[in-house]
Amino acid sequence: MIKFPKMKIFDSMVKSNSYLVGLSMFLLVYFIGFVGNWFGINETIVNSVWFLNLLESRWVDYLIVIIISIPIIGAVVELKYGENSVKHRDKSVIYMGFLTLVIIVLMYPIILNKTLLIEIPQIFSIGLTLRIDMLGYAVLILSAFIWFFVMIYAHEYMTHEKKTTRFLFFLALTYSSVIGAISSGDLLMMFIFFEIMTITSYMLVIHGQNEQSYKAGYNYIIMGLIGGFLILTAIILLYFNIGDLRFTSAIAKLDTLGNLKYWIMGLLVFGFGIKAGMAPVHVWLPRTHPVAPTPASALLSGVMIKIGAFGIIRVATSYYFPSREAVAGIDDPLWQAATNIGAIIIWSGIITMALGVFLALQQANIKKMLAYHSISQMGYIITGIGVALYLGYEGAMGLTGAMYHIINHALFKSLLFMVAGVIYYHTKELDMYKLGGLWKKLPFTTMTFLIAALGISGIPLFNGYISKTILHHGIVEAYELGHPVFLYAEIIFIVVSAGTVCSFIKMFYYVFLRKTDNEYKTMVFDYSSLDIAMWSMAIIIVLIGLSPSFILKSLIIPILNLTTYDPYFIEHHIAHMNVFAYKDLLMTLGIVGLGFVIFILGKKYHLFHLHLPKWLSIEYLFFLPAYIIMRNLCRIMYGDRCPMDKDDFAKLTEKDVEKIGFIDRFIITTNVFNRRYEQSIIRSDAIIYTGFLTFIIILMLITKL
Amino acid sequence: MNIEQLPIINLLLFLLMALVIPLLKRKPFKITLILGFVVLGLVLISSGYLLWYVNNVEVIHYTFGGHEARFGIEFIVDPFSALFTTIIAGLAAIIYIYSSGDATEGIEKTEYGRYYVLLFILLMSMFGILYTNDLFNTYVFIEILSITTCAIISIKKKKDTYTSAFRYVMMNELGSLSYLFGVALIYMATGFTNITLISESIQNAYASYPVNIIVALGFMIIGLGIKAAIFPFHIWLPDAHSAAPSTSSAILSAIVIKVYILVLVKVLFRVFKLDILNEMNISTILLVLAGVAMIMGSVFAIAQKDVKRMLGYSSVAQMGYILLGIGLLSFEGLRAAFFHILSHGLMKTALFLSVGEIIYYKKTRKVNDFDGMGFIMPVAMGVFSIAALGMIGIPLTSGFISKLNLGVAVLDQNQIIFLVILIVSSLLNVIYYLPIIILAFLKNEKYRYRLKSIEPTPRTMIAPLVLLGVLIVVVGLFPNQIMIFIEAAANSLLP
Repeated sequence: MIKFPKMKIFDSMVKSNSYLVGLSMFLLVYFIGFVGNWFGINETIVNSVWFLNLLESRWVDYLIVIIISIPIIGAVVELKYGENSVKHRDKSVIYMGFLTLVIIVLMYPIILNKTLLIEIPQIFSIGLTLRIDMLGYAVLILSAFIWFFVMIYAHEYMTHEKKTTRFLFFLALTYSSVIGAISSGDLLMMFIFFEIMTITSYMLVIHGQNEQSYKAGYNYIIMGLIGGFLILTAIILLYFNIGDLRFTSAIAKLDTLGNLKYWIMGLLVFGFGIKAGMAPVHVWLPRTHPVAPTPASALLSGVMIKIGAFGIIRVATSYYFPSREAVAGIDDPLWQAATNIGAIIIWSGIITMALGVFLALQQANIKKMLAYHSISQMGYIITGIGVALYLGYEGAMGLTGAMYHIINHALFKSLLFMVAGVIYYHTKELDMYKLGGLWKKLPFTTMTFLIAALGISGIPLFNGYISKTILHHGIVEAYELGHPVFLYAEIIFIVVSAGTVCSFIKMFYYVFLRKTDNEYKTMVFDYSSLDIAMWSMAIIIVLIGLSPSFILKSLIIPILNLTTYDPYFIEHHIAHMNVFAYKDLLMTLGIVGLGFVIFILGKKYHLFHLHLPKWLSIEYLFFLPAYIIMRNLCRIMYGDRCPMDKDDFAKLTEKDVEKIGFIDRFIITTNVFNRRYEQSIIRSDAIIYTGFLTFIIILMLITKL
Repeated sequence: MNIEQLPIINLLLFLLMALVIPLLKRKPFKITLILGFVVLGLVLISSGYLLWYVNNVEVIHYTFGGHEARFGIEFIVDPFSALFTTIIAGLAAIIYIYSSGDATEGIEKTEYGRYYVLLFILLMSMFGILYTNDLFNTYVFIEILSITTCAIISIKKKKDTYTSAFRYVMMNELGSLSYLFGVALIYMATGFTNITLISESIQNAYASYPVNIIVALGFMIIGLGIKAAIFPFHIWLPDAHSAAPSTSSAILSAIVIKVYILVLVKVLFRVFKLDILNEMNISTILLVLAGVAMIMGSVFAIAQKDVKRMLGYSSVAQMGYILLGIGLLSFEGLRAAFFHILSHGLMKTALFLSVGEIIYYKKTRKVNDFDGMGFIMPVAMGVFSIAALGMIGIPLTSGFISKLNLGVAVLDQNQIIFLVILIVSSLLNVIYYLPIIILAFLKNEKYRYRLKSIEPTPRTMIAPLVLLGVLIVVVGLFPNQIMIFIEAAANSLLP
């Protein structure tokens, strides 16, 4: 018999937080009950007079504004209390999150019957639209739950950190911008909230305010802004060519643009893909997570990167799909663009997932490993989106898988980060090879970790299994209905799943099971807000795993019905899908077995400590030409006297890409350039004047004569 | 009073004010300040009224002394000149309020009077340039403007200001004379200096003396290019900025160089007209100049250690944006360029004034010394951040609308490569503006303890900054109200 240590309570707000989480669980039960029509609750509400009146009234649209502004109000109140009254400060943030959650859950019957829409003309000279439909709502309710739990978690976790007021303030602002981005009705509005999200979440990333976090944060914000500029370019191109940025079908007009439509989609996919952690542009993600405080990384991985995927889904299924009324079936030539784009997105998703899991296996830092898993899991989602586009009218399976995996991944990944946070909270250590034997000290945490790990590995009865199975079905359809080359995609998919299993076996072994000398004598076993938040998420994971059709019925089928997909296909292949077919179960068994094999082999031959040579890193390959040019530009400018400044030159020729990044090198190059040419340009004023004058006049004379 | 005389009264008010300042030398300086403010307010109101009048009633023509336009000097107040005089008056009023809060750093107390005399003559000449409909008269005002600008740059009694002022005056003289040479060639070919009359006969002149017209246009573009600091001719600008007091830099960067580019607009669209420009393929030349300016200005700005030099180079890049809009020779292009003149005017003023406050109190102009500045001077750094984000083109600021309009204008002329340059230039803006914001607000709060030791900033310095910050956001949110006037101005230039 194992003797558990005695449980202690330090957290003063644990009681009220428990009640709140209880209430939120009650909300969840209400939601389940409403969907399942327990006691006729659904009919009672939907048929009641006040509900019909509510649907009729114009004011119901302003719910969007309300849910966007509640977090802002909370943030202001939070700022008012500040450090003077820590309890009130934390409460204001938590209650604000709870209020948003309540409104969002209660909105479900309204959204089911009506798309909320607010148009603000004139503003920005284009006009903006706010809109919540089922697609937005699914992500909205997910973010509301996760944000609420993370708020509860953050309250306790942040007691160990400095400047909590600032952190919570920007956390609330980020929440508001996330809700805004989800409920935007046009690309410009989404872009605006996206930019706000980048800036406010930057404040969360650099919270530690040390050299490392500045470096990671700079990387994060620069890449975020680059993504923003890509989206802006696409906005300008779209606005010029279509004249309307609302999310409606535009393929009829886009089809006349030739190759430009692929450029636009490419810009959008890359722009949103930077946030989503897509393969070549994922580099900010593994750097950001280890330095950000845990609540921030839980949200970053749980919600914010999903907004990137959501953006791709939103743009693709609106602009690039024919409208429901005009579609002529699967053979409609308008599907051609979506098919071509989809094929590319599938492969980028496959590359992302393979790369992510491969790098995750090499990591020692828990948070870094989880970050690479986020990349890998985003690869699953992106593959799903690719299938949804590639199969055109019959791609409903891909979208189902992608949406389901968005929901599932948000749940288990934020839970895993929370576990990592608890480990760090107690031990101040994130290196998994230095930890060990924690299961005795933190039994509850171990159990929640186990639930989340089973979820992410795709074990039956946990949530990840369902979405992975659906995604697998999607890929199978892609090569059955589409091109046979996607058979290789399926193989990679299976191997990556096995890699995921192996990775979590490894983490479980090293962190929790393994016996170490370190006894963690000082560690106390307490019950705090951390545990409540984690437990409630674990419960949701298990609930989804036990009843796979619930999410399908309540959230995903309404989305599919609003998207241009074949209703027959939805009815026959998705509505009554059985994910527990023996074939799928057998495959899962195989994946788990393969995972164990990889783990045992890896442990025996020390494959987990392999470090790839520097030159194989994505960044190095990507920027190598630029580095070579920059290094030699200096030589060209100065000739033999090249090292004008020894330090600068040493930095430019530095081999390690991690130490001096692209932008630093660029700045050094401009410095060298500036030193060489600024004064000489200023001194050669007369030459420039005469030269240009003669040149221009001769040019014009030639054109004329 | 006749409404036609209102533009003249504007000019006279400035001139009178400049005359009165030396007379008030023995009185307390406050009286001068208040009087100057009243004058600026009156001019702002009258130009605002004129803006409304010309847009809703009719265009005002005024000939001096009743002489025929052919012999005399003609003033035209149309949507174009009315709009930009209003913008100039507004920006000047803001800068004036700021400078009255004795932030004219580096200027000796005895020189204050001289500074304001110069300021009012400067404004007078800029109004004159915009109102006049005569090429030679424009030259006269340009000369007044260059000389007063030179004096205002060299107002600090330091050695390096003299060298930079000397460089400024030499370069600008070169520009003025090139412009004059162009005017003379046109006069030779057409026999007029009045813009309306020239434009009627320029087609014939072009048919009979093509070389004259081509050389004239070449000289005018280069001459005005030097004055407007278009990239390879920007040589005088960085030194002038780093030497001049901050308020002068704001005037120079936000207003003066814009006036020269507006003269270029007048010359291109009113004198030569689109047919000749298209035949000579001027568009390509201007676009190439603009593209080079947008990239190179930013590249040089990245390498600067002195914040005012950096802002100066940033102006060079931004002038490239404006020239890009003009070089497209289309309605959309002009609209975008005019909007950017306004939005860059607001943002650059805000940047220079907030930096001016920091330089005034912290006596540092090194970018690296800005760490923790956000805690010492929250208002100044806050406005700096808003304006810098505007420069980058973050939505909710006026800079974003400029970029959007420019992008659409570029696509309209099928010049997709310039969209790429626009985006790359924005990214370069990120590289030099963002680290300053991060440095000021997040890094090294070692100065925090000094919070109380800073003497309270005068309200006359804070208020204009806050006003500018608010204006940047408001213009960014509701551009349509201003766009009406801008479109009218662009329409008045195109047939």
